[in-house]
Amino acid sequence: MKNVLGIVNFESNYVKVKGLDDYRPISAASFLGRYRVVDFCISNFTNSGIQNLKVLIKNRPRSLVEHIHATNYNVNGKKGKIHLLYGEREYTDQIYNTDIASLSANMDYIEGSDAAYVVVAPAHFIYTQDFSEIVEFTKEKGNDITVLYQPTDNADKEFLMGDVVVMDKNQKVERFTRQRGRIKDVNVSLETYCMKKDLFVELIKKAEKTSSLYTLSNIISDVAKDLNVIGYKHKGFCACINSLQAYYDASMHLRDDKHMHGFINEDWPIYTMTNDSCPTLFKEGGRAVGSIVGNGSSIEGKVINSIISRNVVIKKGAVVKDSIVLPNAVIEEDAHIEYAVVDRFAKVSDIQQIIGEADDPVYIKKGDRI
Amino acid sequence: MKKNNMVAMILAGGRGSRLYDLTKKVAKPAVYFGGKYRIIDFALSNCANSNISTVGVLVQYESIELGSYVSKESIWGLDMLGGGTYVLSPREKDNEGFSAFRGTADAITQNLDFLDQEEAEYVLVLSGDHIYKMNYEKMLKKHIETGAEATIAVLEVDLKDATRFGIMNTNEDDEIIEFEEKPAHPKSNLASMGVYIFSYKTLRKYLKADDKNENSNHDFGKDIIPQYIKDGKKLQAYRFRGYWKDVGTIDSLWESNMDLLSEDNDLNLFDKTWKIYTEDSISTPQCIGENAEINNALITQGCQVDGKVEHSVIFTGARIDEGAIVKDSVVMNNCHIGKGAKLTRCLVQDGVNVPAGLILGKKDSKDILLVSKQVVAKAGDQ
Repeated sequence: MKNVLGIVNFESNYVKVKGLDDYRPISAASFLGRYRVVDFCISNFTNSGIQNLKVLIKNRPRSLVEHIHATNYNVNGKKGKIHLLYGEREYTDQIYNTDIASLSANMDYIEGSDAAYVVVAPAHFIYTQDFSEIVEFTKEKGNDITVLYQPTDNADKEFLMGDVVVMDKNQKVERFTRQRGRIKDVNVSLETYCMKKDLFVELIKKAEKTSSLYTLSNIISDVAKDLNVIGYKHKGFCACINSLQAYYDASMHLRDDKHMHGFINEDWPIYTMTNDSCPTLFKEGGRAVGSIVGNGSSIEGKVINSIISRNVVIKKGAVVKDSIVLPNAVIEEDAHIEYAVVDRFAKVSDIQQIIGEADDPVYIKKGDRI
Repeated sequence: MKKNNMVAMILAGGRGSRLYDLTKKVAKPAVYFGGKYRIIDFALSNCANSNISTVGVLVQYESIELGSYVSKESIWGLDMLGGGTYVLSPREKDNEGFSAFRGTADAITQNLDFLDQEEAEYVLVLSGDHIYKMNYEKMLKKHIETGAEATIAVLEVDLKDATRFGIMNTNEDDEIIEFEEKPAHPKSNLASMGVYIFSYKTLRKYLKADDKNENSNHDFGKDIIPQYIKDGKKLQAYRFRGYWKDVGTIDSLWESNMDLLSEDNDLNLFDKTWKIYTEDSISTPQCIGENAEINNALITQGCQVDGKVEHSVIFTGARIDEGAIVKDSVVMNNCHIGKGAKLTRCLVQDGVNVPAGLILGKKDSKDILLVSKQVVAKAGDQ
């Protein structure tokens, strides 16, 4: 896949992950105790043999800049590259901070690339996909644009505000509509596109002229009626992390050993940055069932059906149930949490039980003392 | 910029034959330890944390895995300009031909050209098969302060155990006046840890002389140190306090792993100021299943545990199925313990599949059972 440029797009403006995105873009949020959300997208590229990547970043870039290095993602040190593209302009309002604005601010690096094709994939989707299949499909069929989609029967709860792909029987996209959750069975767009680089450049320029608020999805939607836009069906698990609930649900689904090992395995590893933490120590009385546990943690309480990230301390008598605990958080003695997402460095004591609900988890702020 | 002009030389050529099948295809320093590490990670991380930038690793026995591992210098942050890890194996030389390392001292003698080239002022000689955390920079400071020709790290052991070690007899200033290898009647309890700092100029002379001595074993403990003492060279003992273990046998390797399970063990792998670095395994997170029962265990990335694990250390990628019981055991990398299998006081070699229902080891066994592929095959036949 030497002549393919990979672009990791930032999350769309409809993404609102309560609490978590106050501190970092959702793509930089910790996931499954060990990864960050963006690792899935980048690993898809590098596992597909696409070694030349541009990662678009918008506000609060610190955690992404720190995390994304070519050496972490099995990229060839000489022939590959991961390039972070930061939109140079200052925006008074986030609605102007679109992928098109960012791409056009960095147009030299896109136009100057000698790649013939581009694959664009969003950082806030969790799925695995061999992109080389999509590139081959695009070339073979002579599609102008290939768009990755997935049928869902759960559209009243998932993928909200994304795009629905409406296709004829030959998979030709007739139009895109907004996913407002009114119909349960739809084909949702994974906002992942493959096209010739020249067309990509042309679309960016066209979008910029059309409206300052336009996104890549908007312009592709506009041109769908004139161009040959073809759907490519994705198989397997897929989640769009567009809300705290979606983040919680995707985490809890993959918490199941069978789901996770069907999704991530030796043939499709997910790369991330190592933290050099020691293994997790379950002390006398420390228990866990049905859980994912990150390294460097020390567990003396009970962990039930939860995700414990790295360097977490769970003290004696504490109970963590159906919850996600992010790195470096401390659950103090006899504290009790259920259906909660505890952000990094938070300390939860036994003063008050924290109990959320499966369809409305409680969020504990980063560094908070409770 | 080099932070100090001390070059570390890690002796990693030995087989470690008392580890039996564990070292059949890999040298002892490359054997796995503590859930996610290899034994040599401790010496290498100590070097890195002590601001040593150049580390020579002397390899001989089964060196492919060990050599390729230590070459990945970025793992320990030993990848700065002017520094690095150097795999030093026996080589053919102009005029001298080819010869294997004849002893610990000879391994260094055969690489004097490397030390010359690195412009070493001090040489730190280490063993690649000890588990401990130590600041060699502090030891160097002491070496310079006392003006010694050599400084030897010592550990205070129980007098009754002293018969198993090389013992240093010292004067009131901790200067070494006598060295006794495994004495029957020890006069002191200061055991050599196999960690030496030498001023290079003098060491070079002694090694050159030793090279020509036909009666020498070419060993630091047996030949070089006694010669220093004989010649009245100043030898300083450097007292170390903390965890130190030679993991040369199955029992001691098992025991050292078990030490990690006690709440406030002296090795403290959780200490962020002195991390032990190792290669990341790019494996999935650790999954604890619905049927798991865990009590006092050290478990790491890539493990899938659905059985009962009690007072045990489970290494990267190991799988323990529903209904299996692992007690007082060490289960190494990528092992699979089948449904209903029961392990007690075992050390399971990496990659071994223990089939469902197999029972191995005993609660009150004197020795720890090394579970290799052969042991499993034999047990299956019965």
